[in-house]
Amino acid sequence: MTVPTVESARTWFSAQKIAGYGAAAFAAVFVLYPVYFLLQAAFDVGDPQVRPPTSYGLDNFSGLFQFPQILLNTVNVSLAATVMALVFGFVMAWILARTNVPGRRLFEQLMAVPYYLTPLLGALAWSLLGSPESGFINQIWRALGGHDHLIDINTGYGIAWVMALFEGSVAFVMIAAVMKSMDPSLEEASQVIGASRLRTMLRITLPLVVPGVLGAAIFVFAEMLGSFAVALVLGLPSRYYVVTTAIYQLVQQYPPKIQTAAAMGVSLFAVMFIMLFLYRRIVMAGSYVTITGKAFRPRVADVGSLRYVLLGVCVLYVFVAVALPLATLLYASVQKIAVAFPVAGNWTLDNFRTAMSMNAVRSALGNSLLLGFGTATIGVVLMGLLAWLIYRSRLPASGLMEYIVMFPQAVPRLVFAFGMMWAWVVFPIPIYGTLWLLLIAYITVFLPLGVRTIAGVMLQIDKSLEECAQMCGASWAFRVRTVTVPLLVPGLVAAWLLLFIASVRELGASILLMGPHSKVITPSIVESWFGTSSELTATLALIQTLVVAIAMIVLVAVTRRVGAQPVD
Amino acid sequence: MAGIKNRNVTRRTLLKIGGAITAVPLVGFAAPGVLAQGQTKSPTKVLDFMTNADVAKAEQEGQLVFYCHENEPGTAGIVEGFHKDFPKINTSYVRAQTGALYNKILSERSAGRFDVDVIQLSDLAPAVDFQKKGGYEQYVSPESPAYKAEHLSSPVGSFFWTGVDPAGIAYNKAKVTPSEAPKTWQDILDPRWKGVISCKISASGLQFVQWYALRKLYGPGFWKEFAKQNPHAFDSRVQLFDRLAKGDDKITAIGEYPAYILFKDKGANVEFVAPPDGLVATPLIVGAVSKAPHPEAAKLFVDWAMSKRGQAWYQTNPNLYYGSVRTDAPPMPTGVRLSEFKLLYPADWDDYASQRDVFSKEWNGMLGL
Repeated sequence: MTVPTVESARTWFSAQKIAGYGAAAFAAVFVLYPVYFLLQAAFDVGDPQVRPPTSYGLDNFSGLFQFPQILLNTVNVSLAATVMALVFGFVMAWILARTNVPGRRLFEQLMAVPYYLTPLLGALAWSLLGSPESGFINQIWRALGGHDHLIDINTGYGIAWVMALFEGSVAFVMIAAVMKSMDPSLEEASQVIGASRLRTMLRITLPLVVPGVLGAAIFVFAEMLGSFAVALVLGLPSRYYVVTTAIYQLVQQYPPKIQTAAAMGVSLFAVMFIMLFLYRRIVMAGSYVTITGKAFRPRVADVGSLRYVLLGVCVLYVFVAVALPLATLLYASVQKIAVAFPVAGNWTLDNFRTAMSMNAVRSALGNSLLLGFGTATIGVVLMGLLAWLIYRSRLPASGLMEYIVMFPQAVPRLVFAFGMMWAWVVFPIPIYGTLWLLLIAYITVFLPLGVRTIAGVMLQIDKSLEECAQMCGASWAFRVRTVTVPLLVPGLVAAWLLLFIASVRELGASILLMGPHSKVITPSIVESWFGTSSELTATLALIQTLVVAIAMIVLVAVTRRVGAQPVD
Repeated sequence: MAGIKNRNVTRRTLLKIGGAITAVPLVGFAAPGVLAQGQTKSPTKVLDFMTNADVAKAEQEGQLVFYCHENEPGTAGIVEGFHKDFPKINTSYVRAQTGALYNKILSERSAGRFDVDVIQLSDLAPAVDFQKKGGYEQYVSPESPAYKAEHLSSPVGSFFWTGVDPAGIAYNKAKVTPSEAPKTWQDILDPRWKGVISCKISASGLQFVQWYALRKLYGPGFWKEFAKQNPHAFDSRVQLFDRLAKGDDKITAIGEYPAYILFKDKGANVEFVAPPDGLVATPLIVGAVSKAPHPEAAKLFVDWAMSKRGQAWYQTNPNLYYGSVRTDAPPMPTGVRLSEFKLLYPADWDDYASQRDVFSKEWNGMLGL
């Protein structure tokens, strides 16, 4: 055994320090530099077209009270969407984690599909399905003798419904994790003393998972507050504005109301920050929830013939959140004017021809895939280092770094993009308007996602393995390469795939930061929705989904071939 | 389509005298401090139009960056037309509503970034503001004599009207019979259209013109009455007609003629009404930007866009269908000449520009913003 020398200890120290603080410095610059510009605009009460600001004040914040309806709408939609997402998430998590419903593994995989499909695609599809006059469901309703309309998707509840369907998979993942770690003997004890399954679920299962569900609720609520795409597509036709869509409209005007928009964004950020702070407190303090310290194996309950009813519930969810939206977009994409009962002359393939000739498909899709690859690859290295710095190193200020890294989670990406636009337009290195800016933007806004994913796996690895290598004299770099990274591979692969998908579907930041040579696909779809027909937009959304699905299949196949098993 | 009368276009009083006087001597003559470098030599003929740009140099630059208010297919269509004629010059573009686009270019320039060569806006007010800020390159195209003074900037050389977008009222024929359909602008205030009528958002230049022009005609109470109709507001003309064609709205208060032609071509069951008081119309403003990264390509584009060839492209592209203000412009694809429409422009463009904030506040308030 080699005894560590003073020289090797110094090397160990400097390598660790350089890597850790280097990553920390990058993250701090990426996050805090744009935030400075955002705050500057929010407090700027001078001429909006003069930068830097000539005077500061709180007028922009006091002016927000002119928009009580928008604030109320935001809270209403976010609350309704959160409640629905939690109901969907809880029911599906209970069915798939705690019962012997047929096809559990398959449905667990399918529950992730709405996340990949994106809320934008869901909004486009449900717009075609549920518009009061032209929505397919309402056309069929009237054809069957109904009056007026059966559903109206262009309302606050309609927006909340689509948000919940597509963000519900996040609630499902969080609640399912809690349920899987719950000691089943408690439920068994309940049933032994004669409680019914329903009573057991309500009196035992539910109270046990409440803190976990509450944590999920706060996280999902914060997500809903910052949600943009669904409210944009479904809210605008009925003049139903939430804060994010109001911000978007305010900066589109001439002269743009940037200061008001920035104040709205900063206020939203403050609320989200409080929410996420509460979430962290609940998660950190969640000792009494499910982890008993006693060894147990998660078991599923035999629900008898009820399992076929539960299977129907699973099928219904997947149908409404995945199959129906995709089928709707496919159907609309082959029509000239999308209607529920088309005549023979209404069918066309022109939408696909036009889409293939558009920049949105030819260059934007390529750029998106390139950026997804770049963000995921660079992000995994940077975020892996940050996760190690925050959760495994004993370096000072690692706690502070955690807050900085999680900062973008609390800021809607659309709002963050303003800060980034102003920050990087004055930056001496000319990256503004290029793919490099989008790469930086993506890495910045997805820091919380990547760090949290990698940290989840990192925290499961016993520190003693690294310490053992250290005792054997291995340098820090050697330990990371031969012990930590191999153990982390599943987590890194999962983070890579998540970052790839998140980048390709990104909208909020990209819509403001795209340049003439750096167009990406999701904002191009939104632009298409603004400026072309809904049929062509449906075609673009389908093409995006298809290409991303192919990319995912190839990537998963490649990672399996090289021996890494992505985690769920 | 009924009610179109042959009448003269309302003139820009701001330019009436000064513009007309200054335009003539500037065209074709080099005036120190005003004209760009290319104008010290004689114009050359390229394809079938005249240009002061050095075409070889423009091709050497190899790029043209275009900022445009138009929707995605429309913007793509414009640069495609130019690229077809000059395949050695690659084109790229950014599209956004005029307000957002103008804000973007101002932010970039205040940070010392000059990435754009040519800009097209759908509102004269920001164009004049940009001119005052020195944002446009002073370039007098040899094609300028084909335009009336009121369709050029004052002084000549900053920008020109690449087309006009006229709008009347449009309705869905399956939902509204011709006898029920509105005939005049005042008819859009009929309570029967409450909740089934659409308009554009305040970022739209044309919407601003309509607000200004009809307010002048019928008084400030007109739009207060209109607000009671709970109109649905959208970003682009295509969205308005998409909803109209599907019956989501029964009528639109700002049915743009180019979108009407586009949707008729698609087989949509829509009809256009030209109110007797005239169609509201906004100029579409094109100009080369100062400190452009590709200055020769920018000048070449301006000449191309002003030329009969470029105007024909603008006027016949289905995603554009702009009405040309060239004095020798051919009819639009429907066979109608722009000059056959009675058009409602603001009579005083300075007064119009000064009303922007009033408009934004009223319109946003009406839409709940």
